[in-house]
Amino acid sequence: MEVFQNSMLPILAFFPMLGAVVGYGIGRSNKKARDIWAWILAALTFAGSLTLIGKESVYSLPGFCGLGISFAADGFGVVLAVLTGAIWLLTTLFSKEYMADERNRNRYYFFVFLTLGATMGIFLSADLFTTLIFFEIMSFTSFVLVIHEESEISIRSAQTYLAVAVIGGLVTLMGLFMMYHMAGTLDMNELSVFIQAQPDRKPLYVVGILILFGFGAKAGLFPLHIWLPGAYTVAPAPSSALLSCLLTKTGVFGVIVVSCKLFLHDAVWGSMILILGLITMVMGAVLAVFSVNLKRTLACSSMSQIGFMIIAIGMQGLLGDHNALAAAGTFLHFINHSLLKLVLFLCAGVVFMNLRELDLNKVRGFGKDKPLLKIIFLTGLFGIAGVPLFNGYISKTLIHESIVEYIAVLAAAGQSTAFMRFAEGLFLFSGGLTLAYMTKLFVAVFLEENPYTVARKKTGPYMSGLTAAVLVIGAVVLPVLGLLPHATQDVLAEMGRGFMNAHAPEHAVHYFAWVNLKGAVISIVVGAVVYFLFIRKALMAKDANGNMVYVDRWPEWFNIEDKIYRPVLLVCLPYIGGFAARLAGSLTDGFIAILRMVIFNDDNGRVVPPEDKYFSAYTDGETDKTVYREGFARSLLMIGIGLAIAMVYILN
Amino acid sequence: MNAFATLLPVIFPIIAGIGLLPVKFKDRKDREKWVLSIVVLNALFALYAIWGVGGAYVTLFRFSEKLSLGFHIDGLSKVFGTMVSLLWIITTVYAFEYMTHEGKEDKFFAFFIMTFGVVLGIAFSGNFLTMYLFYEFLTLATLPLVMHAMDNKARHAGKTYILYMMFGASLAFIGFVFIYCYGSTTDFVTGGVLNPALVAGHEELLRMVFVMAFFGFGVKAAVFPFYRWLPKASVAPTPVTALLHAVAVVKSGIFAIIRLTYYSFGTSFLIGTWAQNVMLIIAAITIVFGSTVALRTPHIKRRFAYSTVSNLSYIIFGVAIMTPAGLAAGLLHMVCHAVIKITLFFTAGAILYKTHREYLYEVEGFAKYMPITFATMAITGIGLVGIPPFAGFNSKWALATAAVESGNAMAYFGIAALIISALLTALYIFYIIVRAYFPRKREYPAGYYDHVSDPNGYMTVPLVLLAIVSVVIALFPDTLLHIMQNAVLGIL
Repeated sequence: MEVFQNSMLPILAFFPMLGAVVGYGIGRSNKKARDIWAWILAALTFAGSLTLIGKESVYSLPGFCGLGISFAADGFGVVLAVLTGAIWLLTTLFSKEYMADERNRNRYYFFVFLTLGATMGIFLSADLFTTLIFFEIMSFTSFVLVIHEESEISIRSAQTYLAVAVIGGLVTLMGLFMMYHMAGTLDMNELSVFIQAQPDRKPLYVVGILILFGFGAKAGLFPLHIWLPGAYTVAPAPSSALLSCLLTKTGVFGVIVVSCKLFLHDAVWGSMILILGLITMVMGAVLAVFSVNLKRTLACSSMSQIGFMIIAIGMQGLLGDHNALAAAGTFLHFINHSLLKLVLFLCAGVVFMNLRELDLNKVRGFGKDKPLLKIIFLTGLFGIAGVPLFNGYISKTLIHESIVEYIAVLAAAGQSTAFMRFAEGLFLFSGGLTLAYMTKLFVAVFLEENPYTVARKKTGPYMSGLTAAVLVIGAVVLPVLGLLPHATQDVLAEMGRGFMNAHAPEHAVHYFAWVNLKGAVISIVVGAVVYFLFIRKALMAKDANGNMVYVDRWPEWFNIEDKIYRPVLLVCLPYIGGFAARLAGSLTDGFIAILRMVIFNDDNGRVVPPEDKYFSAYTDGETDKTVYREGFARSLLMIGIGLAIAMVYILN
Repeated sequence: MNAFATLLPVIFPIIAGIGLLPVKFKDRKDREKWVLSIVVLNALFALYAIWGVGGAYVTLFRFSEKLSLGFHIDGLSKVFGTMVSLLWIITTVYAFEYMTHEGKEDKFFAFFIMTFGVVLGIAFSGNFLTMYLFYEFLTLATLPLVMHAMDNKARHAGKTYILYMMFGASLAFIGFVFIYCYGSTTDFVTGGVLNPALVAGHEELLRMVFVMAFFGFGVKAAVFPFYRWLPKASVAPTPVTALLHAVAVVKSGIFAIIRLTYYSFGTSFLIGTWAQNVMLIIAAITIVFGSTVALRTPHIKRRFAYSTVSNLSYIIFGVAIMTPAGLAAGLLHMVCHAVIKITLFFTAGAILYKTHREYLYEVEGFAKYMPITFATMAITGIGLVGIPPFAGFNSKWALATAAVESGNAMAYFGIAALIISALLTALYIFYIIVRAYFPRKREYPAGYYDHVSDPNGYMTVPLVLLAIVSVVIALFPDTLLHIMQNAVLGIL
């Protein structure tokens, strides 16, 4: 395909940012006009992304920000840009009703569109330096989206988010720096060539892990997932949707770049990614099962689904040349999950804007008499649980097939398949958990009666026509993709193949053949068992009034953030650092103070702490309470004289 | 004519400042008119001398064959002189408003103008003696500024300041004597002036002297363990803390270290020796130390002062790499840090001026009421951390690149320090910004938000201007880096 210079690429990144500033200006005087401007802006960006379809474009701005930034859009980038544009447009439309009662809407729209530009920039970047620049911008702008409510809990969650983002970003920056020094470039394709040519990859793995750190943190990879459940839960629903559908995916994008460009077909790297993915997948699913908060469950679910994608990425490395299925699975699950989570988070948003509650016991029974919302949510449920005929089934099947394929490869080579069989088991088990926690949500919100009444906070219909339209559009796509996999999903998979350096599949996958349906059936059975035997029995209990309610049985002590990260980062390290610094800082003052007490021995030997909250104990009229006095001046003079004598001696 | 043009920006403000000392302005407008015209005029003189005349060596007075008062504008002088001149104008405007709350403006501006000339004297000096002379003048001229308030705290700070400076100068003087004895000249010559015939057999001694002189000049650059005067001096009025203690005075110290390393002793004499390692290690220690203490300091201005301590050593680290790339990166960071830190101090000053709050837990939620102040603080603060695409990232990147390319094992030590410090910087800067934008409490006691609003144009215009400059530097750093590289290679 012809590659040509296309200035649409930087426009897609910078135009929304410019538009954000304009919108902020408009919003200061006219809120209605600002809302309309937001729609126009999102629509224009979406239209701009559509123009990229069908061609391969590049664009570079040399010298910009020092190293220069460059963009490229092959099939992969185009699909992601269109996806970003579409999802952003839908959430912006949804925001009108959802944000109607919120404060700081002007700020919200301003940062939403800054984030849009940054996200486009990431997905369209051609070198890792460009990726990082937009990645950092996105981290900061989305921080404002997370902290939007400014309640105590949202401030805390947002701080965790910011801390992980900043630390992750700096570690990645360090990795990129080292990579740049080794390879002399940060262009993804050139790096790929460079690394293939390296015989000894050990130092490269270290660099790769550093680069992976920041992206993995954004993707919610274990053990850096700590920000994810909190941030998703406290952000306004449209922002949660964006976080889950696209912002977290920028992290996955980074993992794809590192794994499929830098460490292409590298089995060692692949196994590491696979293991991280497995842990993330199971951990997220288990957390989701235990959660009793509507959005928190969806958040943990996102983490788990990202684990699925990461597994697929790992499988690409392990399968090497035969990774067509894994590559297709990675890309399709990436897209499918975004579409699914858009619908699910917006549904949660509808619940929240009516009740202002997310606790399952409070929102219980909300959707009992709302068939439209019920059907929409159910579509999302089927999709994400991997029920056949819905889109999630297709991508999960591909990932499952890639694992099965690798087991066959190992068996043919006479190697142990135990670990991969275990991985397959975990995969199907997590698929079952997905169904279980989604059923938990569906039953609670849409089927059960609420024994307690929760007052509606919203006047008028529970959702406006516009909101309903957004949800219907989002939901209709899901079964279409699931029913016509060859016409839709296979095409998408083919577009993404080039970017991931994957090969074409040897034969078309028969998605609805029994061998493929079997995995889904196993998962569904597991899900049903977990739901009826564990969730209904162990995670529900009678409350004081004898009603069955959902209870949070997650053990308090098992919280990596509160038990390890926060204490280490906020208490231990600053204490050690501060202690060392104070010790070092006391060297100059302390030496003189000791001299004064011991040798000069002039008064009561009182030593004022050199630097404390009050700086020094100053009181009016008293000048002799400080460490420095004539003693210090004298000693300095003495030193000076001593040095002068020494000098004279040396010179002679 | 060239001689006159070179000397004018040095001498004019000193005379003008002395002339202003006995003058008592009746009206604020009068004073502003005079002071601003002197500063702008002198900045123009300086820029003309730098970019219009340049080059020629001007001897004012000759004591002996080797000793003279001489001026010479080379690439390094151009960079330093231009930076100082431009920032001086901005700070003057800011100070007009700020000093109304400190009082005694007549005295303040007299010394403030004098200092301008002295700093340019350091920038333009052509040999060691001249630089040393102006270096001492600088201490004396700025002492009244530090002790401006003349309360106990300020007097104490002033005393500390002068003691440290005297101590440093005495060490630096030793360096001067040795350059006089062992050098073929005391002029600044790229590559150093040591006379190999005289040096032979005394290498270790000379390196010892170099390290002593490094610490001597390092006192002004606040290297560990001689940093203590700097946070204490933050009792001075904010324009002084911002311009002198983040730019002019401290960077004069670095400027002198550069002269000492590259133009007197010469890098070829030092590179790869223990003397270089001492510099690198001290720089690395100071970088981490400054950031660590900054994180533990709740007083906003002192927090920024410790941050300055840390950032000055970034520059020293670049200088200590002793390659052209290292020096260029150091100079780039000097400019980036100057713009960033002066803005940060200005924002702290704006808060102090409007609300008399000094501690960071006292400014929670202020961002809503002081949008310009905190927006500029956020933009430059992110830059200070070194996050792309904000100012400060490129200089750090250049520093790290230069360090790696030098091949010195100690340089990796410094890179580790850069990264640790970046994390600490993120913590100590974001703490203020996040709390200011997102207060922890919904309600504060009555009177908490009294008088909390952006100051007037005298202060906001400089803030906005500097923030814009920092963004422009960040987006197009190549031009600046080229200028630095040319300055280092002596072709500017």
